[in-house]
Amino acid sequence: MAVNPQQEELRERVLTRSGGGVDAGAPIRQTSLWRDAWYRYRANRAAVIAGGLFLLLVVYVVFAPILSPYDPYGVDFSQAYQPISWSHPLGTDQYGRDLFTRTALGGRISIGIGFAATIAIMGIGILYGSISGFVGGRLDNGMMRFLDALYGLPYLPFAIIVTQLFQTVNFWVMVTALTIASWFTAARVVRGQIISLKENDYVRAARAVGARWYRILARHLLPNTLGVLIVFAFLELPGVILGEAFLSFIGLGINPPQASWGSLAQDGRDVYLAHPTMILIPSVAIAWLILCAFFIADGLRDALDPRTRET
Amino acid sequence: MALLEVRDLRTYFATRDGDVRAVDGVSFSVERGRTLGIVGESGCGKSVTALSIMGLIPKPPARIVSGSIQFDGKVLTQLREAELENLRGREMAMIFQDPMTSLNPTLTIGTQITETLRRHLGMSARDADRRAVELLEEVRIPRAQERLKDYPHRYSGGMRQRVMIAIALSCNPKLLIADEPTTALDVTVQAGVLDLLEELREEHQMAMIVITHDMGVVAEAADDVVVMYAGQIVEQASSLGLFDRPEHPYTEALLGALPSLEGEGGREARLASIPGRPPDLLDPQAACRFAPRCPFAGLNDYCSVEAPELRELRPGHWVRSAHPASERAPV
Repeated sequence: MAVNPQQEELRERVLTRSGGGVDAGAPIRQTSLWRDAWYRYRANRAAVIAGGLFLLLVVYVVFAPILSPYDPYGVDFSQAYQPISWSHPLGTDQYGRDLFTRTALGGRISIGIGFAATIAIMGIGILYGSISGFVGGRLDNGMMRFLDALYGLPYLPFAIIVTQLFQTVNFWVMVTALTIASWFTAARVVRGQIISLKENDYVRAARAVGARWYRILARHLLPNTLGVLIVFAFLELPGVILGEAFLSFIGLGINPPQASWGSLAQDGRDVYLAHPTMILIPSVAIAWLILCAFFIADGLRDALDPRTRET
Repeated sequence: MALLEVRDLRTYFATRDGDVRAVDGVSFSVERGRTLGIVGESGCGKSVTALSIMGLIPKPPARIVSGSIQFDGKVLTQLREAELENLRGREMAMIFQDPMTSLNPTLTIGTQITETLRRHLGMSARDADRRAVELLEEVRIPRAQERLKDYPHRYSGGMRQRVMIAIALSCNPKLLIADEPTTALDVTVQAGVLDLLEELREEHQMAMIVITHDMGVVAEAADDVVVMYAGQIVEQASSLGLFDRPEHPYTEALLGALPSLEGEGGREARLASIPGRPPDLLDPQAACRFAPRCPFAGLNDYCSVEAPELRELRPGHWVRSAHPASERAPV
């Protein structure tokens, strides 16, 4: 055993050292997870522009009706079908109502229904999917087969039937109909996330210190799905808004005199040759909103779920 | 009476092809304040034994078929899940192999430590925070107060394992099970973590089970050793007795497989290995499970037909082999 004394000393030092990380004491700049996400989001220029355009749209639908001098429901046939002008930036409709104001009001309904239904979809999806994925086994199997059966129902007829169950179709009826018709995918996504996350070591470690099941679900599993779910919500939003627009367009949506972009487009359909702006404007608004949502979703995916980045 | 008594534990995993006997008749006990080492290669059932004690085996597919686990006067195998939950983290705790994945990335270190304190000891948020700082200091995390608010990604592997230890010790458990506590760590950090564990074990008057495949860890940490092979105990002795006079051919081979830097051949020598593979636990043979790899088992020996029982060669030194070292003819 010919070990030179220097080596021996080194070995001694290594073995008796109180361990790794102790010397890692330099002050470190604090960055939160959300700030990191914001940096990554900002790197996606299309998403930043889409976010700006989306905010612009929201500002328009919120403030235009408040600032507008026109009564959005007042009928004045002498003003019907006015072209685009300074006093009516988007013209007027067949009852002489200012379309700049009505489009904003319709936007409130469309965007509102879109967000409310998306939130409801995520809520139901999280509840259903997390129970199914977390409990697993036979219950999971049963719940998923039930979902498969619901998948077999065609989406829009299903939503139409729900709207017809109510006397008048108002905001919340639309939200209910769209939610009932399209929560399935959210439930599946949540279930998949929960199943893959519950195999994680930290879940086992939490169980090893006696954490109860609801705590594991609420504290350890759901927060880790948040990034994916936010992205999914923004991908779900355009579908819901389109569904609402479609229902309104075929006259099964929200009841007049309230309007949504879908019903505004329907008003313009009858006169699309004489007054093409009437159908064009709500269509552009819908496309604007949907494209924004897609680009925002793309940016959010880069920001919140960097692992699945496609670049 | 020992703190932990495992009697004839059998844990099987149901698979499409039948039951895999991951743990097949294991008995041992751990006295208060002692450290037991469980050694064996991958898949020999050492982790499943630990998870069975903690009640953390994945059910299904796994189930405890027979045997009993007594811990501090309670029969764990008969407790309801809610009662087990109250014991876990409070009376017995476990740390896992990979500290990089054992902490939740979305919660701060502080939250993850106080979670256990508040759950079991009913502490207020403020008291729990104060205790968490003490715990972090106890496992020698510098600037504990500030680091409490950090997320796990700001901690190194060794520090995370220290945090895991702090969480495990937060409620002063009577038994700590460390499943390969140093395997995933840098060599330089390993010794530090082992020393820390030993020091804290003494301070907290705990019993400890250290599961490892590293004979060096056993030598450093354990008072008693259980060597497992293919779901069974093949040798059981005090740490000194085992290293002094290993009896089972498998133990000898494990010790022989330790790489050494000095002595004959030095670094030119090839690493010693054990020929063959462990048996399929789906349908283990009736014969000695080590027989196919055993250099001493002849074709005509009874051990290639019938499995040898665990027997006491010397006081406190048990072995399951027809050819223990002390009974072999000198070559």
